[in-house]
Amino acid sequence: MTAVVDDAVTAGRRLGVALSDDELRRIAEHLGRVPTPTEMFAFDAQWSEHCSYKSSREHLSKLPTEGPTVLLGVGEDAGIVRLGEWNGERYGIVVAHESHNHPSQVVPFEGAATGIGGIVRDVLCMGAEVIGIADPLRFGRLENEHCRYVAQQVVDGIAAYGNAIGVPNVGGDVFFDESFDDNVLVNVVALGLVKEKHIIHSRAPKDSAGWDIVLVGKATDRSGFGGASFSSLMLDEEDAEQNKGAVQVPDPFLKNVIMRASYAVFAELRANGIDAGFKDLGAGGLAGCSGELCAAGGMGAEVELDLVSTAQRDLPPEVIAIGETQERLCWIVPPSFTPLLLEIYNDVFSLPRIARGAGAAVIGKVTCSGRYVAKHRGQTVMDVDLPFLTGGVRYSRGYVLPEPSVPESPEMRQGRAQAAFSAGEGPVRLFSWLRRVLSHRDVASRRTIYERYDGVVRGCTAIPPGYADAGVLVPIPGAPLAVALGLGGNPRYGKLDAAHAAELAVVEAVANVTAVGATPAGLTDCLNFGDPTVPEQMGAFVAAVEGLSRAARALGVPFVSGNVSLYNRSSSGNHVAPSPIVACVGTIADVSRTATGAFKRPGSAIMMLGRFEAAFGGSVFAEISGLDTRALPAIDYAYFARCCEVIREAYDRGLLLAARDISDGGMLACIAEMALTSRHESCDAFVGAHLEQIETAMDPAAQDAAWFAEFPGFVCEVEDKDAFARVAESCGVTARLCGRTIAEPVLISHERREAVDLGDLQRSWTEPLRDFYGSTA
Amino acid sequence: MSARVAVVVFPGTNSEDETLRALLAVGLDAELVHWSAPGKLARFEAFVLPGGFAYEDRIRAGAVAAHDAVMDPVIEAAEAGKFVLGICNGAQILAEAGLVPGTGPLRRPSAAFAPNDTGHFRSVHVHVALNVDPSRVPILAGIEAGAVIPAWASHGDGRLVAPPDELERLRRDGHVAFVYCERDGTHVAAPNGSALDAAALVNRAGNVLAIMPHPERDGWTFQHVDGSRGAGSRDSAAMLAPSGGITLFEHFARAVRAPYRSAA
Repeated sequence: MTAVVDDAVTAGRRLGVALSDDELRRIAEHLGRVPTPTEMFAFDAQWSEHCSYKSSREHLSKLPTEGPTVLLGVGEDAGIVRLGEWNGERYGIVVAHESHNHPSQVVPFEGAATGIGGIVRDVLCMGAEVIGIADPLRFGRLENEHCRYVAQQVVDGIAAYGNAIGVPNVGGDVFFDESFDDNVLVNVVALGLVKEKHIIHSRAPKDSAGWDIVLVGKATDRSGFGGASFSSLMLDEEDAEQNKGAVQVPDPFLKNVIMRASYAVFAELRANGIDAGFKDLGAGGLAGCSGELCAAGGMGAEVELDLVSTAQRDLPPEVIAIGETQERLCWIVPPSFTPLLLEIYNDVFSLPRIARGAGAAVIGKVTCSGRYVAKHRGQTVMDVDLPFLTGGVRYSRGYVLPEPSVPESPEMRQGRAQAAFSAGEGPVRLFSWLRRVLSHRDVASRRTIYERYDGVVRGCTAIPPGYADAGVLVPIPGAPLAVALGLGGNPRYGKLDAAHAAELAVVEAVANVTAVGATPAGLTDCLNFGDPTVPEQMGAFVAAVEGLSRAARALGVPFVSGNVSLYNRSSSGNHVAPSPIVACVGTIADVSRTATGAFKRPGSAIMMLGRFEAAFGGSVFAEISGLDTRALPAIDYAYFARCCEVIREAYDRGLLLAARDISDGGMLACIAEMALTSRHESCDAFVGAHLEQIETAMDPAAQDAAWFAEFPGFVCEVEDKDAFARVAESCGVTARLCGRTIAEPVLISHERREAVDLGDLQRSWTEPLRDFYGSTA
Repeated sequence: MSARVAVVVFPGTNSEDETLRALLAVGLDAELVHWSAPGKLARFEAFVLPGGFAYEDRIRAGAVAAHDAVMDPVIEAAEAGKFVLGICNGAQILAEAGLVPGTGPLRRPSAAFAPNDTGHFRSVHVHVALNVDPSRVPILAGIEAGAVIPAWASHGDGRLVAPPDELERLRRDGHVAFVYCERDGTHVAAPNGSALDAAALVNRAGNVLAIMPHPERDGWTFQHVDGSRGAGSRDSAAMLAPSGGITLFEHFARAVRAPYRSAA
């Protein structure tokens, strides 16, 4: 046995798998022999961090995952939240969240494109129509040439793929930070629509022994071989060329047709009352996907690799079985349904005519053995116990929790913030600071990026990207039910305090959907961290999960799906800023009770909700003014939840013309954005604003800096100030007047001390990214 | 019985469902017909080519689709005077098929929709104004002179290009059916560098219209982003009602329902 174990370790090292020596020993002991190359790569993929969550699982179990809005919780390819009822049918919104960080660093166009390809399949395989996507992006500094290349190519890749498949982009977010210079973060969220009774599960149905395993999609090739374990490694400059082979090749054109053909298959399954299993091929390829399908149903599988359509002759069995060629899905259907399934893909949607070698084919059978057996040219190349393969391994990694930040007294914070404000260059003015805040890359208009994406295909978009804090879709034609998607996750906060940043990410995502009148129904997270074998990095991860859990419990919103991306560290030892990125799906019962975030008309009151706090840690103002502070805003969850209640109630009563949440840049940047986006919605003329002195708990001498504090809250445009204030009061919240909208295209400060032209501000706000992304308007 | 309209779906089409919805909303009897079933097309009286990326826009946008067998019955119908509407990728296909402007031989385009001058796909809300005498567009029966329609320009290849003498002919002979404008009809520069700021082309007989922006993406009140949605309206029936861009389909429906009379 010792010889076998040693031989297994030697074989593993020779094949270059990422499995540790210990893991190889365990496998050899379990099999009682040296694994075949196909088995070796199968374990390499299934036991990778990417597939098995081996470092993270014990911590993820802390997240709240249950609640009345959850239709299908964590466990399958995507979670599902309740949307509501229409015409006697109950509908759900499928939500999935993934990262494609490593591939996007190596080949950014393909990496970002295949990120969408993968997440779209995760939603599709739940039996859903894919209705929207969004990308949270974290780029390095644009001063760095390679970062510029990555930042351009990622956006191009998202546009090329998303636009072609015809799924609207409902709005992602972008931050720039040096910690992403060597490791870009490309996360992607996708939404789907499904009737509750039509959900398809990613498992072999009960008693499905003898059913067909059908592989659908692109011909299998060498691309994407070793992708799962690659994404669990650190990136090394020298391996760049070799790593490119681990990235899949996107084919949105073929995906477009596969999606539509799959919708036709769904319709037939329903018409015939047939149960089936459906899952996308992602990490771990064919063996991973069909293995997980059968394992989830307590079944086994016997697969003939010779039946798999391949793009090249003589592909080795391990590539056919484990390679991660894109645009493939796997069905488990009763043999009686197989001819119709094949006809839909191969004849009606003529996949073989559209792409060489593409199509649907039976490649194996479900068994009741509990084993995964794969044959190639008459030889058994894989024969393993499925639960052992898909169960993966677990690690309890050591970690060091971050030091709690040193408290700073409010007086100290205020004084220092005002000192930083007064120390500005040139004449010290509110609006000269505003201009600098608006031209900060994390605040500047994202419009040139959004314009690259199709945000309105499918004709279901009520609020496209950039028009409000969240995108809004009306997914069921004729029904007033709407869905909002909002994001959160600020790397500047992450660097200061991972746990608090995670809490603020949840608050931000919830605030974003609330600003358009939605009720949060579910959260998803993508946890992007550095190397988990470094105790401080693992500690940041553990702290962030605790933060997410705290915020989600406090706000009563469950997590329904998520993803973990570790090892975001370069060979030079640069770890990414702890980046818990959160998406919130909200529901709106009636689409006539929502609004964009732009000022609509002169003469309205501008009201603020939220508990003002002079915490400038991680703020844009602190960064540009050089204010050295680590204090992040405290979160009073009960008060924040009441503010959210005010917003929804005000929408219900028709009191709100526009609302935005206070985020990067603070309250003044928020008001400026509401004015700057007003032009298209108010007869091509800007709606300006005249600001009032804001009442805060701050020392009056520190009032100026207060405009740039970032704290949970909202800015609202309301016609009837008193009615709005009464609604707020009834919820136990004080609505503060902070200005009025005016017909002149300017912002005017309190007591008319200074004014700034909106056209002028528009340039400061739009130029930073417009110059980079190069659109002409 | 109302006229039957085929929405022709190519591999890569992505706007067929919302286009079908717009046609049904104006009372037409419309259905999707897939590329794998060209034989079905003979039964229809009018045709709509929706947006997308047919055949991946290989060679040029619309070029491969224009040569697909499924286009044979469409071209035949267009030549027989039946109405054919192409939106976005559908417009590109009609140009590549030579049906618009229709000044040259079939499938030898005399004008084409080339990559935007921004060098990128661009999705922006726009308005377009009728730029020809209403008598030039029998495919939009009853449309008023100078009518303004809201839409989304969402394309990578929407820039009209043609040799100078051909452009002059298109302008002079009223082939530039729509141009980009403000909501009040004031002329504005095209968002993509299109020659003559053209947003749409029509053939000589006026039965084939190729329009780049998507009116079906701004054809319901809830889709309006130009302030016409009505903030705080709290009227869900009004919010879900067709309006704005739907008018283009209403005029198309009037044309399709009326017995066709040649404009020539």
